[in-house]
Amino acid sequence: MEGRPADEAELLARAQRGDQGAFEEIVQRYQQVAFRVAYVITGSAAEAEDAAQEGMFKAYRALHTFRTGAEPRPWLLRIVANEARNRARSAGRRQHLHLRLAEDFRPGDAAPSPEAAVLAADEGQRLMALVNDLSDDDRLVITSRYLLQLSGEETAAALGIPEGTVKSRLSRALERLRRRVEETTNA
Amino acid sequence: MPEPAELETMLAALAARIDWPATPELRVVIRRRAAVLPLRPRFRARWAMAALAVLVILATLLAYTPTRTAIADWVNLHINIRRTTALPTPSPLPSGTLGSNLGLGTQTTLDGAQADVNWHVLVPSRLGPPDAVYLLLPPDGASGGEVSLVYGTSSGIPVSSETGVAVLVTEARGSVNEQFFGKTLSEGTTIEQVTVNGHQGWWISGQPHVFVFIDSDGAPRFETLRLATNTLVIDDGGTIVRIEGHMTRSQALQIAGTLA
Repeated sequence: MEGRPADEAELLARAQRGDQGAFEEIVQRYQQVAFRVAYVITGSAAEAEDAAQEGMFKAYRALHTFRTGAEPRPWLLRIVANEARNRARSAGRRQHLHLRLAEDFRPGDAAPSPEAAVLAADEGQRLMALVNDLSDDDRLVITSRYLLQLSGEETAAALGIPEGTVKSRLSRALERLRRRVEETTNA
Repeated sequence: MPEPAELETMLAALAARIDWPATPELRVVIRRRAAVLPLRPRFRARWAMAALAVLVILATLLAYTPTRTAIADWVNLHINIRRTTALPTPSPLPSGTLGSNLGLGTQTTLDGAQADVNWHVLVPSRLGPPDAVYLLLPPDGASGGEVSLVYGTSSGIPVSSETGVAVLVTEARGSVNEQFFGKTLSEGTTIEQVTVNGHQGWWISGQPHVFVFIDSDGAPRFETLRLATNTLVIDDGGTIVRIEGHMTRSQALQIAGTLA
């Protein structure tokens, strides 16, 4: 991924040689995205924390299986996401996730980021609600790719599907979301 | 209706405003758990898995008689390792030096043999000095050499009318895989695990005619048991000692107990 420190592969190689500090550094760097992926899959912060912790530890124990030269992030996310899916499955049902937006911009606050400013407050709330109402498959692929800003490879790893399937699924999900946006705009 | 690119831009804008739950601190937890269950270095795990896989495959192949025969043919090891009721008998040669007809290698002395190998040749004091000593070096013998001690007489142990030998002690460096050589034993032959002075051993009674062990280079050696009679095998700290003769289990264990 662009902008990512170039030494992550080296960190992983050091961890494979038994350098525990190197693995802790990897945990530090990836814990946020790992936890959020698990949260999107399980729909529960508590379950996501357990899944992220267990997944990270399993990754540590499976360091010898990591292929030298591969990207560490998709490998790690795949393990954490698998753990999250297993937990969601054993819980019987997946809690339907309702992502929320942070408090909207109010006068006197710091200026919103340029990205946030693209979307008016009410538009953002409407779009968020529409994403939350999508089917699980559509919601997961859109959330992973756009809201978690994962790469195609990482999305495939997180969802446990081939990268080619991510593209087709994403394309169909976007089309359905676009129609819903259109319907609500016209209503 | 927004254009696809426009919708993607809107979603990217939404990402910056999601109210995610606080990310838990996992670093310390992982450190604690890793301290309890430390990681094995990568190369060890990989080599261990590879070695295990090879052993499993080898054991599976060798357990299946047709495959075992095919492998023996392929590597030109034309040795009969199938269970059989008709056993070959060593060809007797009454004249000549004791044991010279048994294909034990070049005749030497105890000191001469010891000088030619870099491991300690064990001698059973119960039998005293051997009547003849032979040395078989690679490629005919196992890597590291193979030393045979031949005894023409020993109290209480009958002398073979065919070979003129009472007891034959053969030594080489290596290791024993009981599963492996157990499969090469002929019908009517039994194998029993024993311990001699803390060393693992196997008492093979009946008419064993082939003994297989792994030499110090890790290569399997298919050895003919010259006397084709009761045999005691001892792994004495990496020296594989075979004691052959028409003796009882108790006599064999007594002899082995005096190896030094």
